[in-house]
Amino acid sequence: MIPATTTTLTMTEIQNSNPTILDAADLPTRLRSSPKTADHGLFTAVPLPADFDSASSDSDDDNLMEEPIDEQEIYDLISTISDPEHPISLGELAVVSLPDIAIKPTLPQVPESPLQTVTVLITPTITHCSLATVIGLGVRVRLEQSLPSRFRMDVRIKEGTHSTGDEVNKQLADKERVAAALENGALMGVIAKMMETCQ
Amino acid sequence: MSALQTFMLVVDHDKEEAKRIAEGIAHGMQHHPALESTRSTALLNEIIPDVETKKATLIDTVQSLGEYINDEDPILRGKAISYLTAVISALSPKYLTRQQIQVLTTFFCDRIEDGGAVAGLEVLQGLDRFNRFLATQVAQALFSNFQDLQSRSQTQRFHVYQLLNDLMSNHRAAMRDMGDISLLGVVDIMTGEKDPRNLMMVFSILKVVMVEWDISNHTETLFDSVYNYFPITFRPPPNDPYGITAQDLKGRLQDCIASTRRFAPHAIPALLDKLDSTSPNVKKDALNALIACIQSYDPNTVSKFSITVWEVLKFEILNAQEEFLSETSLEALQLITRRLSEGVTEISQDLPLAKYLQPITKECNEQLHEPQNKQAKPAQSILSCVSAASPVSFTLVVQTVVAPVFTLYQEADGIVKQKALLETLNVLFEAATTIFGQWTTRGEELAIDNPLLEFKDQLSEILGQVLMGAAKEEVSFRVTALKGFLRLSTLRNFFQDNEIGLFVQYLDEILLKEESVGRDDLKKEAIAALAEISKHKPRLIIDITFPAFVATLPEEDEGSDALYLPTLETLAQISVERDIFETLFRRLFSKLSILLQKEQPGSVAYPRAILVTMLYVMQQRNMEQDQSIDLYYSKIVVGLCRDVAASASGMAKNRILNDPTVLDTLGRLCNLLVRSVSTEKQEQVTENVYTLFATSDEFVPLPFNQNATADQERTIIISTYLLAGLPKDSGSRLPYVTPDMSALLLDLVNRSVSSTEPAIHQSYLRHLALLVNKFLSKQDLPIAEQLFDSLQGQSTEPNSFNHATIRTIFWLAKALVLRLAPTTTHILTSLLTLVSSPDQQTSVTAAQSFSIILSEDDILSSTNGATIRLLCRQKLFTTVIPLISSRIREVNTETESITPPHIKPAHLTALSGILSTIPTSLVMPELPTLLPLLLQSLDLQTSNSTAVRKATLDTLAVIIRDNGVTVIDQTGHVQSLITRLLKTTTSDKTAFNTPRLRADALKCLNLLAANQSPPGTAPNARAPPVISPLLPVKAQVLRSLRVVLDDPRRDVRKAAVDARGAWLRGVDDAPEEED
Repeated sequence: MIPATTTTLTMTEIQNSNPTILDAADLPTRLRSSPKTADHGLFTAVPLPADFDSASSDSDDDNLMEEPIDEQEIYDLISTISDPEHPISLGELAVVSLPDIAIKPTLPQVPESPLQTVTVLITPTITHCSLATVIGLGVRVRLEQSLPSRFRMDVRIKEGTHSTGDEVNKQLADKERVAAALENGALMGVIAKMMETCQ
Repeated sequence: MSALQTFMLVVDHDKEEAKRIAEGIAHGMQHHPALESTRSTALLNEIIPDVETKKATLIDTVQSLGEYINDEDPILRGKAISYLTAVISALSPKYLTRQQIQVLTTFFCDRIEDGGAVAGLEVLQGLDRFNRFLATQVAQALFSNFQDLQSRSQTQRFHVYQLLNDLMSNHRAAMRDMGDISLLGVVDIMTGEKDPRNLMMVFSILKVVMVEWDISNHTETLFDSVYNYFPITFRPPPNDPYGITAQDLKGRLQDCIASTRRFAPHAIPALLDKLDSTSPNVKKDALNALIACIQSYDPNTVSKFSITVWEVLKFEILNAQEEFLSETSLEALQLITRRLSEGVTEISQDLPLAKYLQPITKECNEQLHEPQNKQAKPAQSILSCVSAASPVSFTLVVQTVVAPVFTLYQEADGIVKQKALLETLNVLFEAATTIFGQWTTRGEELAIDNPLLEFKDQLSEILGQVLMGAAKEEVSFRVTALKGFLRLSTLRNFFQDNEIGLFVQYLDEILLKEESVGRDDLKKEAIAALAEISKHKPRLIIDITFPAFVATLPEEDEGSDALYLPTLETLAQISVERDIFETLFRRLFSKLSILLQKEQPGSVAYPRAILVTMLYVMQQRNMEQDQSIDLYYSKIVVGLCRDVAASASGMAKNRILNDPTVLDTLGRLCNLLVRSVSTEKQEQVTENVYTLFATSDEFVPLPFNQNATADQERTIIISTYLLAGLPKDSGSRLPYVTPDMSALLLDLVNRSVSSTEPAIHQSYLRHLALLVNKFLSKQDLPIAEQLFDSLQGQSTEPNSFNHATIRTIFWLAKALVLRLAPTTTHILTSLLTLVSSPDQQTSVTAAQSFSIILSEDDILSSTNGATIRLLCRQKLFTTVIPLISSRIREVNTETESITPPHIKPAHLTALSGILSTIPTSLVMPELPTLLPLLLQSLDLQTSNSTAVRKATLDTLAVIIRDNGVTVIDQTGHVQSLITRLLKTTTSDKTAFNTPRLRADALKCLNLLAANQSPPGTAPNARAPPVISPLLPVKAQVLRSLRVVLDDPRRDVRKAAVDARGAWLRGVDDAPEEED
């Protein structure tokens, strides 16, 4: 139950005090395929004389190129959320990972529909983590705040990674329970703190 | 009325008058040698026939108190005693005899509870004739009469402590000889004290007792007397006149706790207990006190508690909840290690230090079994802090940690684990550097051998294997090995040169042979490592890296893939050391010379890249101090300039030196060198600015050469850079300036207005500006001003000019405005008339040119000695802004559109050009006028207004960031600003908002929410409960931004997410309550 979860928040004892941590440098990132081929700072630092006159050369600044929302973008939105127990990001703790994010059309039978469903599978650091619901809610809130309205959120515990995964999933999927939880001041305080580190 | 009566009357309401009366009495006494005797009183009467003086004997004074000192009313008694005190305070310190002091002391001691007595004793104890016997008497009187001190007023208590404090400092031996009596007396008196001012004094009195008394019988009593105050929770009231802070009290209390090792059995367990507190501040105070104790107690005492301390601090570090607590805990552990290392010369496992380190290294070794887990990081920090404490501790840690780490490494089942173990080793290497220093460290070497030497071959093998043998995509693993290798290579007296050489070869191989992977982190680190090694072992770089790298440089640029660029870049970055740079220069210069001799030299990008490489390194170095400067001067400035002249005359083998980009880079190089060479050499340059060191039959200099070819014209690029580097006073020795500069300037203007090749045109403009701004003498300024006017007047149609002419006018204006020429106002007004030109092209070009005036320039710069007056910005701003503002108002209020439609956008363009070059501090006072103009700029919804709107958003961003929402709110424009910003965020095809504009508008929205309180107020300061001016628009903003979250561009979406987050979090319905 969600109210039960909020009471565990006041517990000072830490459930998993020594989780495995990934190196931030090893997390998946979007490689900027720089259009300026040779990115040798040294040589671009000295302007070519022809550069002087063209003060406003926004050459790549056109509206033609579309960059659809992809899994990496979802990952970037949620991987910097902090774990409620540790001041460490969900990405570094491998609670969220790129292969566990999927974007699919919500109505595959209606190809022209813009509706999309984002599925995020969460892997708790230990199988009995009572904070899994809070983490799931945090991810949900972050996505709801950051994605356009044509996106549907499906945040779930990855199968086999949590002892009461089904129970937690039921809570996360229940719109009314989620809405009720978000009315809870203490819980929202925890979630706001988790999102402070979002970049 | 007697003096006493007068005194008693006035003392309550006029302290000054009371003091004067007492001084009068004292004065009377002192002016006669033997006032006590009745006979001398008579004598005094003859000398000073004054009523007051007659009474002025000590005995009389005391006797006169008679009727009051036994009065029932304590206030009356107090006043009487105060009178006596006031009199003796006014006496000179030598006046009272030993006997009198004794009598008075006894008198005051008897009456010690009456007001003024304590103050009297205070005066007496300060006299030279006051002795230790009396001191004891006073102390006794204090201790026995002030058992109830805490029931008295703060001031009274303060006086008692002050007396005690003075006795402590003036008669310490007497106090100390009282032993337990004074010890317990002090403790009794102060017990229960709560006033911070009094406590400050109490703590310092107690500290003297703790340090100097024999406290063995009452250690705990004494300790408790101060420890009861721990932790200090005092918070000074606002506007506290005494200015005592909690930190002051904490400091004094901590000094007491740490004052004597005898406290250790009480203090250390008690402080460790406090670490169970839930308040981080209490824990912090306890840790700081603990550190003070470790610092102050002797090593033996520290040793007794060292393991207990470790057991407790371990949890603070491994389960760190607050970073500062774990940092302070680490500091404590390191301090213990350092204290226990004192005086240790032989290393053995029986040392107290070794016994202390055993459980620590054991715990760390256990944590390192799972090195990728969270607690391994704190374990590394622990190893780092204890090993870096002293050479002995380093040795002990290395002996117990390195071998197990090796074993774990061999058995590790994955790269993640191995990498974490390498990181642990790196931590130890870092500690080794702290202890043993680097190759470049000066000073004596340690007598002790580096214990890592035992593992040298093993380390070198593992690191080499990971660096070169691991899979190429395991970048961070390899980077870890690289960092370790680098640490060991720079560690003093560790590797042999050939071992470092091997590492250098690895790095070369990575840079030259490997493909790029991802963000190229490994290559970046490899370059940084070579640069670092070049400081310690330059010879290895010259002998190994240079040949390898230079060998890969091609003879010429054959294809499209410029593979030489990364090589040159690396060479540039590792060649900052002097010896290496000279080698680099010689090698690159010979490459360049060969290229210049080739019939088919390939692309000019290659020679230019070689020149850029030289330029980059020279910019990093201090060329004025370089001993090889003359070599560089003769090769580059003299040699290559001569080649440029030959090329311009068509006598070169190829056209490399006819290329404007090559010439520009060469020019920058020359400019740097000309600024750095001797005056004598600069004079040579002065003569050769236009001849470029060529003889007249080889080359015709450009000025006044009416038939110059484009190749010859391009030499102006080099001439301009040479000219820029010359000192200001060379003006009169320049060619073509006699009788004055007018002919030369006119020649340049004529060339400039008809020039078509951008690079040449730019050089003409700068050349002209340099001459006018830097070299034209003050009395010759009218020449330039007339030139400006004549340019303005020579248009064919009214106020219609071509692009080149407008640029020439603005550059001339720039040169004059920067030096604040007398006609600056006239110049600026004339420029604005160009913006009002009915010819749209002229108007738009002129408007865009306004940013030229103040913008930074590489050539007309203060580095090159240009005259840039501080007030020129102010002048430009205050002259032009009101004119623009009123012109726009005029246009806005016109009923019929008689003004051409381009006039308003053009003025807004000029405005944004000026604002982009002006510091916001100047802009702020004018904000009420400016903001409406800026908002109108955002309204320009056309494709060619992008630059204006971009500049406007930049200006707004700076204004909001530096001044917060308040300033916008004060001008009443919050709503209109928000509406326009939101309009700029739409990606609608009709809106002409480029992705950059949309992102910038979102950034402004983000800044608005993030800067609601005025700057300077601390984020947790108690803010007045005001409702944010953003609240009324919150819903509108959140709704609009939701749409922007679906922008086609990723960067825009990111900005929208951030802005929306800031509004959701930052703009509150009700201001937050502070608890």
